Amino acid sequence: MIKEGKFGPAEAIVLLAVSNVARIFLPYPRSLVEMGGPAAWITPIGGFAVALAGAYIMSLLLKKNPDNTIIEITEEAFGPALGITFNLITIAFFISVSFLFVRQFSEALIIAALPETPISVIAAVFLAIGLLGAYLGIEAIARSTRLTYIYVFGGIVFLLFALIPQWNFDNLFPVLGNGFFPVFGLGTFSTAAVTEIILAAVLVQSMGGADKYVRINFFAALIAFTVLSILLAVSVLTMGKEISTETTLPFYRLSRNIYLGRFFQRVEALFIIIWSIVGALKIALTLYGAAVSLARTLKLPDYRPLIWPLGLIIFILSFLPPDLPTTIKLDTDFLRVFAHVPNYLLPLLLLAAYWLKGRVRRAGN
Amino acid sequence: MNILKTFLEMISYRENLDREGFILQETKDEKIAGPDSDGKAADKEISDKPRAKKRNFIKPRRPSEINYGDPAEKTDSAKTDSASSSLAENREVINRLYGLPDNKDIITRDFFLGMNSAYKGMAVFIDGLTDKAVQDLLFQALMLFAVPPDADRGKLAKLVMKALLPGNQVKVISSFKDILAAVNMGDTVLFFDGCAGAVVVETKGWEHRGVERPVTEQSIQGPQEAFNETLRANTALLRKIIKNENLTTEFSVVGQRSQTMIAVMYLRDLANPDLVKEVKRRINSIKTDSILDSGVLEQFIEEHPYNLHPTALATERPDRVASKILEGRVAIIVDGSPNVLTVPTTMYEQLQTGEEMYIHWQYGTFVRWLRAVAFLLSFLLPGLYLAVVLYHQEMIPTELILAIAGNREKVPFPSIVEVLLMELSFELIREAGLRIPGVMGATIGIVGALILGQAAVQANIVSPILVILVSVTGLASFAIPYHSLAFSLRIYRFVYIALGSTLGIFGISMGLIAHVNLTANLKSFGVPYLAPTGPRTADWTDIVTVAPAFFHERRPDYINPLDMTRQPQVSRGWIKDGGKKND
Repeated sequence: MIKEGKFGPAEAIVLLAVSNVARIFLPYPRSLVEMGGPAAWITPIGGFAVALAGAYIMSLLLKKNPDNTIIEITEEAFGPALGITFNLITIAFFISVSFLFVRQFSEALIIAALPETPISVIAAVFLAIGLLGAYLGIEAIARSTRLTYIYVFGGIVFLLFALIPQWNFDNLFPVLGNGFFPVFGLGTFSTAAVTEIILAAVLVQSMGGADKYVRINFFAALIAFTVLSILLAVSVLTMGKEISTETTLPFYRLSRNIYLGRFFQRVEALFIIIWSIVGALKIALTLYGAAVSLARTLKLPDYRPLIWPLGLIIFILSFLPPDLPTTIKLDTDFLRVFAHVPNYLLPLLLLAAYWLKGRVRRAGN
Repeated sequence: MNILKTFLEMISYRENLDREGFILQETKDEKIAGPDSDGKAADKEISDKPRAKKRNFIKPRRPSEINYGDPAEKTDSAKTDSASSSLAENREVINRLYGLPDNKDIITRDFFLGMNSAYKGMAVFIDGLTDKAVQDLLFQALMLFAVPPDADRGKLAKLVMKALLPGNQVKVISSFKDILAAVNMGDTVLFFDGCAGAVVVETKGWEHRGVERPVTEQSIQGPQEAFNETLRANTALLRKIIKNENLTTEFSVVGQRSQTMIAVMYLRDLANPDLVKEVKRRINSIKTDSILDSGVLEQFIEEHPYNLHPTALATERPDRVASKILEGRVAIIVDGSPNVLTVPTTMYEQLQTGEEMYIHWQYGTFVRWLRAVAFLLSFLLPGLYLAVVLYHQEMIPTELILAIAGNREKVPFPSIVEVLLMELSFELIREAGLRIPGVMGATIGIVGALILGQAAVQANIVSPILVILVSVTGLASFAIPYHSLAFSLRIYRFVYIALGSTLGIFGISMGLIAHVNLTANLKSFGVPYLAPTGPRTADWTDIVTVAPAFFHERRPDYINPLDMTRQPQVSRGWIKDGGKKND
């Protein structure tokens, strides 16, 4: 139906990994430090386990329909009315991710690099690149990610490990931080939303089918959760729990702390390059996900005409929150909870629907 | 009296009757649609309407809807007629077709065959395109060798071909279309009275340039030959390197008026047949007036003509083209162009010269990594400088920023004006240096160095650090071996200057990601332009790092040749395990 490109598993892994990693540049890690205290770095472990379970459940669904994506499967399982409702929820999720990321990335850039630039200019530039990426298609996005990921992950690793001289291992104690429930309970609930299983399920046909789905998701999640865990550990090691909780952008703050001698210090500009590349790729990807899901829901032959209106909607939505704290609150209280609906609730409901249908059919026989 | 008349003429008034002199009037059938001679009714209406209405929007038509006509049908219909048995009639047709006697290049020469006035003959050829020595031999043979008195006039042409002519390529043809084509290519055509066929003798011998050293792609090691403007010499240069019966040359003619020969060369047992088919399909579908250079053809067959990056590789070195053909690519040679195109191409290939393979792999690797740095510097450096100086001063160590600020103190312009000024003068020097007549070439270096270096700094128009910066950028740009790629980066440089000066590092990185996106989307004859890194394909031996020659076991995966193996796993027979670990 819709002409999507095809790319290999290696490209799919880095594409999803970069998409998952995007969160660590935002105020998100701060809330994890608040939640887990010195043990914040343990919180992603529970989330990783849940994400793998979610990917497995999703793969069961996708394997039942090897030629379809999650959008068609939902409609087939729930019927037109309920199916389209669920699909619209998925699309709403992509749009929410997209507009909250546009806003947070733009705000973060104003804090970090361009204090006197109007936010609309930065958001417009981000969206313009997102539009271009989504217009050129998933193949171009995947190839660009494949070309840039070495610099992105290399940069992240460099920035984190350049801080070794400032690490203080006393900061990591007590080992369990704020207690068992905040670290493993709340932490798991919060970090499980880092991976977007639903996005991978929408792109499954481009990634080479359902057979490779679990493997791709496993490696993508492994990279993302490892990076997140290391970042949280480095943040607490370097700045301690208190300062990590206070700063809005922990990663940016860390990059400013780098001091490897008189000549090499304050490399946040390097950080901005990585940061904005990841942001642009993430926005392009979610915009593409929203457009393709909508086109599939509406059974349109092409997704491209939808990109411009969706981009405009995202642009306007991104300015609705009055300030950065409201945006962060929306991200924490709304998006992080809402994310569980398409990522985990929907596949479970679908499985239940298939199971029920099977039972009814067997009873009929 | 005469003086008085002249004086009166000088002071008296006379009406100027010929005020405007010569004016090129519009021809009657000049149409907007271009070469559509038999045209459609719609076109006629447009041209017949008064001028004021001509500005109306004219709906563009698809190329498939426009009837360009078959090139053979377009010209005189007599062209397809076959030659008659009467010499006088043939002469008349030739006179009409070539516009004789106005057309002075065409020579018709009468003679008697074998000193016998019963056998009349006529030779037609174009002066300047033929080899005079060969022609002398030809006429000697015709006029001096005796002809059997009882020869059948109708079979005279066959007899002449078989018994009389010593020329190396002789054939008998009868259609005027073929006769014209042969004469236009420099052959000599012989008509005989009473015979309906004409004898074509190969006498090509026009003035041309010899095989010289490469001008734009010089190398220290490796062959020092370059292509020239003669198609046959170019194909021979390639055949000289690849002595293989599978090397195939296919010809097609493009351009209604210029009738340019285009050769497609490939190895029949190696190149992917689909690729060859696609190349021929694209070339044969071109409908145009003339193709004067391979650069024009490149624009006609490129998939993405609106992207700045070139998606065909043009080179003037036969050894390079040969190596491409041996990888399974297809070479396209245009008659009259010393640059041969090879497709498909990738960006990494455009950053190579071929010379890296001729020298030790360590040297080749070093040079290529150097070139990779030059590649980045050539379009990023001025933009990055502006971004850092304007937005991210904290990045620069204190001593350096103090030095920059101290230098900038006396300069009255903002940084962006300063950079643009320098870049513009650099581009001017570059262009002027290219166009300046050879004898004055030395001056441009002195003038450039003086203006850019000493004087501008002393006059406080630019800061010294910027002079260094622009020079390094220029050097980096010259280090890129492929001229078209260097050109595209020259233009991108100005985009990055704009982005860096308006949005700082953020703008640069947004530009980079858009650039990468657009470039990753490119395809050259179905092959991704950024292969083998985006998408990743298996081989690594020849991207940036050059592996030793005995490691190049497989051909590039993305070309999908019929035979992937270039050499066996153990290519150095004298070492038992090929110098590698046994696996």
